[in-house]
Amino acid sequence: MASHAKAAQKFARQLFAMSIVDGAVSADRVAGVLEYVEKHHPANPVMVLKAYRRLVAAEIAKSLAVVEHAGAINDAMLAAIAASMTKKYGRSVTATARPSPALLAGLRVQVGDDIYESSVAGQLAVLAASV
Amino acid sequence: MSTVLEQIEQQIAKLSSKAVKKNTGNIRTVADGVAKIDGLSDVMYNEMVQFPGGAIGIALNLEEDEVGCVILGDISQLKEGDEVTTTGRLLSVPVGKELLGRTVDALGNPVDGKGPLGAKEFYPVERIAPGIIVRKGVSQPLFTGIMALDSMIPIGRGQRELIIGDRGTGKTTITIDTIINQAKINKVGLASGDKNFRPVYSIYVAVGQKNSNIVRTLSALEAAGALEFTVVVAAPAADNPANQYIAPYSGAAMGEWFMENGMDALIVYDDLSKHAVAYRQISLILKRPSGREAYPGDVFYLHSRLLERAARLDGKGSLTALPIVETLAGDVSAYIPTNIISITDGQIFLETDLFNQGIRPAVSVGLSVSRVGSAAQIKATKQVGGKLKGELAQFRELAAFAQFGSDLDAKTKAQLERGNRIVELFKQPAFAPQPIELQVAVLFAMQKGLFENVEIQKVSAAAASLKNFFTTRKDALLAEIRTKAALDKDLEARLQAACEEWKSSYSA
Repeated sequence: MASHAKAAQKFARQLFAMSIVDGAVSADRVAGVLEYVEKHHPANPVMVLKAYRRLVAAEIAKSLAVVEHAGAINDAMLAAIAASMTKKYGRSVTATARPSPALLAGLRVQVGDDIYESSVAGQLAVLAASV
Repeated sequence: MSTVLEQIEQQIAKLSSKAVKKNTGNIRTVADGVAKIDGLSDVMYNEMVQFPGGAIGIALNLEEDEVGCVILGDISQLKEGDEVTTTGRLLSVPVGKELLGRTVDALGNPVDGKGPLGAKEFYPVERIAPGIIVRKGVSQPLFTGIMALDSMIPIGRGQRELIIGDRGTGKTTITIDTIINQAKINKVGLASGDKNFRPVYSIYVAVGQKNSNIVRTLSALEAAGALEFTVVVAAPAADNPANQYIAPYSGAAMGEWFMENGMDALIVYDDLSKHAVAYRQISLILKRPSGREAYPGDVFYLHSRLLERAARLDGKGSLTALPIVETLAGDVSAYIPTNIISITDGQIFLETDLFNQGIRPAVSVGLSVSRVGSAAQIKATKQVGGKLKGELAQFRELAAFAQFGSDLDAKTKAQLERGNRIVELFKQPAFAPQPIELQVAVLFAMQKGLFENVEIQKVSAAAASLKNFFTTRKDALLAEIRTKAALDKDLEARLQAACEEWKSSYSA
């Protein structure tokens, strides 16, 4: 079982490497990969596609700044965040807004694994942990 | 009032403008105290990571697209998809004198119900062992209070002496005796007001032990008044393997505090076989390649980096380590025993046969050795017991041959008789360590042939009587041996006279 999972992971990585064009995930290549998997039925296709999906999702997340906000946010602010993140990570990052009243006030920006916490809820959580 | 509001608003503005960066991941799987995590791209090896619900983990496996973490604490609430964040810190435990008399878990949290520790300092659990330049040779004795050990296999401050043997041969008892003896010496030394006196503080690390055994050890230490000089780190068998894996390192960090601050400490790892088993379990779940006996490839480093932290530092203190290893059917050539034998500065081998014959402590003289040797002995012990190990080893050899023949010459018979008497003399009950001055007096009496006319079966009783005589009637003489630590002609004469006095009054 473990060896199947390893083989599927390895194959998924190879498919993922083929899906990258100029440092970003290419929609055409992804479509090609899916077509290939459907046609050729590799061993453990579900395992392969799940691992492939995880890798693609992680890569897409690196180019997307998800801006959670409690108050109002305008396009100019989103553009400023996207520009700032593009400069910081050295790759093209787009920003998308997601309302989140649970933050109480402020912003929470997620780019890949990194989270930039500037919300009241986040600060309260830090305070609660330190008490 | 408006100023107050302004102050609050300013504070809010100040807080709001601060964006805190966190690196996060999500639990992919969690089982048996080990979590596989997606993300955590910035995590460092051995870094502490924060799980939801207050549980913390240590990143042990950094792979291409996942991180393997051991979880310390309650894992029952964790589930797939939970967010995990890096902390940028190494795991640290509280250290200091506040821990003396307390029982803590592998993370340094008190588990004895005596309230918070109040420790002011924290040390990282994993530290690089002291290098060559800062170290000093081992030359100061650490008395175990066990006559067979102090006279034949002496231990010095800063030494690593392995205690090895099958289950139920008295390994833990030797270490508890040693801890109790340190407490006794500390009490005498501190009461004397001697400014040069250096107390030895003890740390007892229980790994994979039954809770009942830990309670028994605690009771023994408390009954002997040794708990006030001891820290107990408990990672019992019911604890998750991650806690059992980290406990010896936590104990070492606590011991290092004493060493770094110019004090002497003794640490007991009870036992490293179970520690290796806990690490093997973690490694197998992390899917690390397994080697001999299914242990991972770095099992040697697991123990070498731990035991190398015991040292005597130049201008500072020392940390003496007494690791315990359990063997199966006396097999010292198994993987973990040979590893630890090669790391330590000697071993005390306990034999089941000797234990069953009633020879306790069941020390096998032939297989036991202290590589520090007589450098860790006071002169008085060397004077009275310098040749004992050789004599006893010779006796064992002769005894083995004597089994096959009945006609023995007078010299051989005398050697056998003397050997049997020494064996009897070295028998010692559990939790009753003897002060070094008393050991010197008894060995002096033995060397002067005081027990030669006593029947072999009655030697133990005679020795007990002699000890009683010295402690009740020759206290001043014992105190002088203790302070001088060597026997000059005057002391020898007075010891001889005391022995004669006892002999005249003793009837077997």
